[in-house]
Amino acid sequence: MSASDKKLIGIWGYPEPSVMEEIRKKYPQNRFIDLDINYNSPESGILPDAYCRIMKNIIDNAAAFQQNLDVIIASVGREKCDSGWFAANILRDMGFKVIETRFEEYGDKFRETPISKSSLPLKDKINRIMDNLIEKQDLKLSEVPAEFGFWGVPPNDPDFLDIFPDNTHVYGWTRCVEAGRPADIELEMYVDEGIPTVFFAQTFCAKMQLAKYLAQKYNGIYIDVDDTASNSVKAKIEAFIKLG
Amino acid sequence: MSKLYADAGTTWSKVLELYKDEKDLKTSSLLKIDNLSAYSVSENKKEYSDRQGNTFKGRSFLLPTKIFSSADVNLDAATGHMVKQKINPDGKYQNEIISLAFGAQKKVKDLENATIIDIGSRDLKWVKFENNKYRDLDWNGNCGSATGATVEMLCKFYNVNPQKLTAQQEKISVTCGVFAMEKIMDNIASDISAEIAVARYIHGIAYNTWVFAKKPEKVYLSGGFCLNSCFIESLGFYCEVTPLGRFILIEGLY
Repeated sequence: MSASDKKLIGIWGYPEPSVMEEIRKKYPQNRFIDLDINYNSPESGILPDAYCRIMKNIIDNAAAFQQNLDVIIASVGREKCDSGWFAANILRDMGFKVIETRFEEYGDKFRETPISKSSLPLKDKINRIMDNLIEKQDLKLSEVPAEFGFWGVPPNDPDFLDIFPDNTHVYGWTRCVEAGRPADIELEMYVDEGIPTVFFAQTFCAKMQLAKYLAQKYNGIYIDVDDTASNSVKAKIEAFIKLG
Repeated sequence: MSKLYADAGTTWSKVLELYKDEKDLKTSSLLKIDNLSAYSVSENKKEYSDRQGNTFKGRSFLLPTKIFSSADVNLDAATGHMVKQKINPDGKYQNEIISLAFGAQKKVKDLENATIIDIGSRDLKWVKFENNKYRDLDWNGNCGSATGATVEMLCKFYNVNPQKLTAQQEKISVTCGVFAMEKIMDNIASDISAEIAVARYIHGIAYNTWVFAKKPEKVYLSGGFCLNSCFIESLGFYCEVTPLGRFILIEGLY
C-alpha cells in the first residue's frame, strides 16, 4: 500500500462499532485503514526488534501514513491486548489524534459465522471477516463440513494460509470477530473436538499461551510465526494436514 | 532406466539409486560425479521394496552436499534442502517431516507407540505414532545450532574422534548454543579433557532431543547420530533407543 493522498481513519483490533460509525459520519471523505496489516511500511524503529509483529505493523503504518491519518480508533480492551493500550498512548504522545475504545460487553448478541464455515479458501475467509469490520458485505456462502481447523488471529504473513484446504474452518479470535464478540474468551477457546486444528499465534503475542495450551488439549499442532513463516513451519503444517 | 532418490541435507546428501538390471546403471546421471564409488555406503545388489511391494536392486551413497549440489543429477523424488532444482519435471518433492513419517511407516514394524526422531546437521524433527497412526509431530528448524554440524565442528576443532567418546552422566545445557559453547570452554579451562567436555555437550543434545520430543519412553533414531555411540548411550539415559540409520527419509520417498 502506498501513502495515498486520501485522508484516512486508522483502526486496529476491533473498535467499538458505535464509535466507528460516529467517526465515519464525522469524517465522511475519509477511508478506513486497518493498521494491523503489513503494508511493508518502513521500519520506524519505535518498538523493540523482538516484539509482536502486528504491533510493529500498527506503529510503523501509523508513522508512514502520519500525514493522511486524521484520527486513529484504537482498540485497547480485552478484544485486543495491553500492547494495544500502550501503542495508543505512544501514538498520542507522538501527536496523533487517538480515540480509545473497549469492546468487551455484548450481552446475548451473537452473529452467525458463515464465513468461518464456508468453502472459501482460508485466506479469503479471514480477509472477508476482517473486511466486514469496516464495510459489511452480504455474501452468499455455502457451508462445508470441517476437515481441518485454523485457530488464531489473522497472521502477519497470510501466504502460509494457502497450505490449508478449503474445507478448513476458522476458530479463535478471528471467529470471535465474525460473531461480533472479539473478547469472548469462551468462544475464542472453542474448537470442534476431533477436527485436526492448527493453533497459530504471532510470536511474542500473549495468545501464544492459549494457542499452545489448546493445541495440547485438542491434539492439534501449535505454531508461532514472527514475520514470515519459515520453511519448517510450512512443512509442519503440510505434514499435519497430510498425515492427520 | 534406474530411479534416483535423494535426501539433501545441509552438510550431507544421501542418495539411493534403484534399478532392475545392472545395465540400467550405465546411463545413470550419478556417473557424472567424480570418484563416485568412494561415496558408496551400501553393498550393491541389496534388495529394496517400495510401498506397493515392488522390489528393486539398489545402491546408496553418502556425499558431501557441496559435491552433490554441484553435480548435474536428475532426481525422481527428493527431500531436504537445496534439491528442488534437481528434480525431474515429472518427479516429486516431499518435505522432510512427511518423508520421515512415511519412511518410518515402511521400516518400523511396531508403530504401536513409537516416536521417530531425525537429527540433522542443523535441525531436529520427530513424528509420533500411536496404534500405527500418526499422532503428533514437531520440527525445530530455527534454533538448531546444537545439532550434528556443531558436534562435527567441535570434534575437528579439538581434534577429538567422535567414535571414541564415552557417554557422561553430567551434561552441558544446550538450550542456548552460545552459552553451551562457553560451558565447553569453561570445562576445558578447568583441566577437563576435550573428550569429556564434548561428551557432556553431546549428552546435553541428547537430553534436549528427548525433551523436545515430549519425553518418549522409546525412540527410533534417524540421521547421522545413529553412528555416534556417545549420543545413543546419552539418549539411553532417558529412553530406549533403536537406531534406524541415515536413509529413513529416502525410504519415505518411494
